[in-house]
Amino acid sequence: MSGTDSSAAGGSGTGSDVYQDSFIPYINTWGRRTNLLAVLLSLGPAVVLLTVFDIVPPSQAIIGAFVSVAATFGIFWVVEPISYYPVLGIPGTYMAFLSGNISNLRLPCAAAAQESADVQTGTPQGSIISTIAIAASIGVNTTLLGVGAFALVSAFQALPGLWQNALESYLVPAVFGAIFAQFGRDYPKVAGVGFVLALAMTLLLEAGVLNFLPGYPLYVVIIVSVFGTILIARWMWEQGMIEAPEDD
Amino acid sequence: MDIANSRWLWLSTIPVVSVVLLQAAIFLRRAWRDGKEMGLSEDQLRTGFKTGLISAIGPAVAVLVGMLALIATVGGPVAWMRLSVIGSVAFELPAAELGVSQFGYGLGDEGITETAYATAVWSMTLGGTGWLLVSALGTPHMEKARQKLGNGKDKLIPIISSAAMLGAFAYFLTGEVAAGTPETGSVAVGGLVMLLLLRIADQRDVQWIREWALGVAMIVGLFVGVALQVTVGSWW
Repeated sequence: MSGTDSSAAGGSGTGSDVYQDSFIPYINTWGRRTNLLAVLLSLGPAVVLLTVFDIVPPSQAIIGAFVSVAATFGIFWVVEPISYYPVLGIPGTYMAFLSGNISNLRLPCAAAAQESADVQTGTPQGSIISTIAIAASIGVNTTLLGVGAFALVSAFQALPGLWQNALESYLVPAVFGAIFAQFGRDYPKVAGVGFVLALAMTLLLEAGVLNFLPGYPLYVVIIVSVFGTILIARWMWEQGMIEAPEDD
Repeated sequence: MDIANSRWLWLSTIPVVSVVLLQAAIFLRRAWRDGKEMGLSEDQLRTGFKTGLISAIGPAVAVLVGMLALIATVGGPVAWMRLSVIGSVAFELPAAELGVSQFGYGLGDEGITETAYATAVWSMTLGGTGWLLVSALGTPHMEKARQKLGNGKDKLIPIISSAAMLGAFAYFLTGEVAAGTPETGSVAVGGLVMLLLLRIADQRDVQWIREWALGVAMIVGLFVGVALQVTVGSWW
């Protein structure tokens, strides 16, 4: 029951018509509506503090806090959607930026699902599967965190510090290694390029070489890692050094 | 901090969390229907759903542990909402910190005033809207950029996307490698376990191994991280 249907994975003509002409317009309409609605509704707790509890922080404090946040994270508002878009696709971008936890949760779930459903990343079929997987992951994490916030907090606080720290520190690196390996299987050369680029950029960042750039230049590391790898992979493909794996 | 865990605050988080679930439901239904029309089999769709579900459990537990820090500082409801919508611990904690720091407090300080607390909530909320606005308004335009990168060649698209994935995860994992020896061990072992399991799954054609591969890789990686931490510690 491996669900291998090579005509599906290959992207037949009718398949991409349904995708382009029906699925994507629908997703764009509803994605925009729901994400904009969420902007309004996310003000809920702040408004309740304002109206029900009459807590009115001085506006200069709010502005000061916002300016500091924007200075630290503002560049990521733009860099992250653009960098993760080729990975997440259209529906995934709406969902992942609405529900958060992108690197540690949404991307790994989408990637693992594409592998096990045997569809290619970047194709319409891959995008459908990642939409389904991200929806499933949203159900899991909303439920688990909701139950957790209510009930599990004391149980986790009873865990020895070593294990609390371990869950926080070591689970996510293992996920990163696993997903990297999954894609590296198909494109070992591109994996090598990506790793060298990202490692070099991370070391440059840590050594302070990038400090001439404005702000904390972590964003340069993302941009160079993602787009550098894309451009070199494209060049390698044009040179005939790599090709897409055959659908079995 | 009774306010931070009050019923009113719990109620105020429900609408926005509902929007997240609603969007997931709308997209899921449509993807299922159109996916079938595009020739994906019921099996493939179900496998995708199951793998998403299984793979989410481990990271969601990790987020839950990270949420403890946030609960301690901004209370249960706000922590839940911030980590179900938009955010990640890596953004929300510094954002809250920047909020209370306007009054000279640090997170976790005793006796933070209500005003400082409310400022932290505002700071997280307003700071998080940037991603929502860019994704709401910018997503339809991003396809052009991707097609440009692909040079209009269809065959190139899967390669571009896989390269983007490899670049993004290379960036994530080198950050972990820089963090210390146990993290590096987790990265390496997580990768090796994944390779091994996918290989076995391919050779024997066992589907459930593919569905559980990521879950197993992260658990083994977690234990290796702990083992390294208690034995050799960190060398850098």
